[in-house]
Amino acid sequence: MVAVRGGSTTPRRLPGVEGVWVFVAADMSFFALLFVSFMLGRQDAVEVYEASRQTLDVNFGGINTLILLTSSWLVVLAVEAVKRNELKNVPHLIAGAFLLGAAFKVSKALEYGGKIKAGITMLSNDFYMYYFTLTGIHLLHVFGGNILLIVLWNKARARQFTKDNCVVLECGATYWHMVDLLWIVLFPLLYLLR
Amino acid sequence: MNTNTPAVDYGTWKMLAWTGPVFFIGFFIMWGLLADNFPPMAASTSAQDMWQHYKDLQTEITIGMSVCMVLGSCYMTFGAAVSRVMRRIEGQEGMLANVEMMGATITYCPIVVACGIWLTCAIQIDTLSPDMAQFCYRLGWMIIDLAYMVTSWQIIAAAIVFLRDKREKKLVPAWVSWWGFVTVASFFPVSLIPFFETGPFAFNGMFNFWIAFPTWYVWIVSMSIFIIKAVGRIEIEDGAAQPKETAVRGGSAVASH
Repeated sequence: MVAVRGGSTTPRRLPGVEGVWVFVAADMSFFALLFVSFMLGRQDAVEVYEASRQTLDVNFGGINTLILLTSSWLVVLAVEAVKRNELKNVPHLIAGAFLLGAAFKVSKALEYGGKIKAGITMLSNDFYMYYFTLTGIHLLHVFGGNILLIVLWNKARARQFTKDNCVVLECGATYWHMVDLLWIVLFPLLYLLR
Repeated sequence: MNTNTPAVDYGTWKMLAWTGPVFFIGFFIMWGLLADNFPPMAASTSAQDMWQHYKDLQTEITIGMSVCMVLGSCYMTFGAAVSRVMRRIEGQEGMLANVEMMGATITYCPIVVACGIWLTCAIQIDTLSPDMAQFCYRLGWMIIDLAYMVTSWQIIAAAIVFLRDKREKKLVPAWVSWWGFVTVASFFPVSLIPFFETGPFAFNGMFNFWIAFPTWYVWIVSMSIFIIKAVGRIEIEDGAAQPKETAVRGGSAVASH
């Protein structure tokens, strides 16, 4: 397949390898089923869900959204830099993405800590079950992503990525964008939906 | 030719590979259909109803679980066949083939223990109190579900090695390896089953039963199919068999190349 850009033809291809897209599609399908399950549960107990939602700190959710969006953006810059063969800054960009991932974890720890201190757990009611489990499973993905970013950072420092050899970086970036995208759905679903 | 090299026993290897389908077909019928686990009894079912379930299905559960305890061992033998295919890719010094075989072998342990508990519950149901029947039923689920990490190591090891296969046409397609990663990802929320009796994270819930189990099942079926094919391909690579295209026609061999 080719795309026409400014009169010239550029071959189009899927970033990374097909397998990582299989993973992303399946993983997001699992989350989609849980989102549907949440909405169905909400229909049956709107008042409980709404009252519980109001106890969540929107600021935490908003800051976390900014953190992940920025982290994802840094990974985009790293991929772009590799494709321009500007390899010097790539490790710094990936390190920045990693640090923001770590910041997300600290933020979640503070948020969870506050809830547990207030006597709220995933067993308190169905809303909190979804709140803790959905954000918890997402947090596991962030942990996985951070490990991946360490691997990518090491490879970038060793100058293993080049314009013609950046499939691994693209795979990692695809996964990290998925983690970001899932949060972008989770944030309004849990924190904002009235 | 090195006469000290022992001959590869392709026949045994193929037989072990076929124990994969024996496992997944046998379990589907005996555990799923006969013992009435499609869907399983809900975690929130009362002790009295659980007792009644075992009373009503005493014979079916007894037969189903007895057979499953035997069939479960096929997961180990299937794992041995997978491990040998992996060794052809990562070499004799590779460790991941060992991890895969250990993972498959130890996966049999929670299967046999859980089925043994459900079997004993069925055969002794007349002397058990409803609370004990409930205890046995839940105990089996906790054991069979929460041992998922052992199986995860098996799947991860296989996925990594098969992705590293340098053949133009991999012995096991990349999508099967990636599906393995999906399977492992679907296992982690299973850790939530002790906390919930209802909802998607109960052991009979949407996530644990209708996502994690079928995802693993798809992996076993697809891995079985490609391992059976892989053994045949390796036999041809070794020159111990001819590709189908070179089959003898009318008494003369017709070469494909």
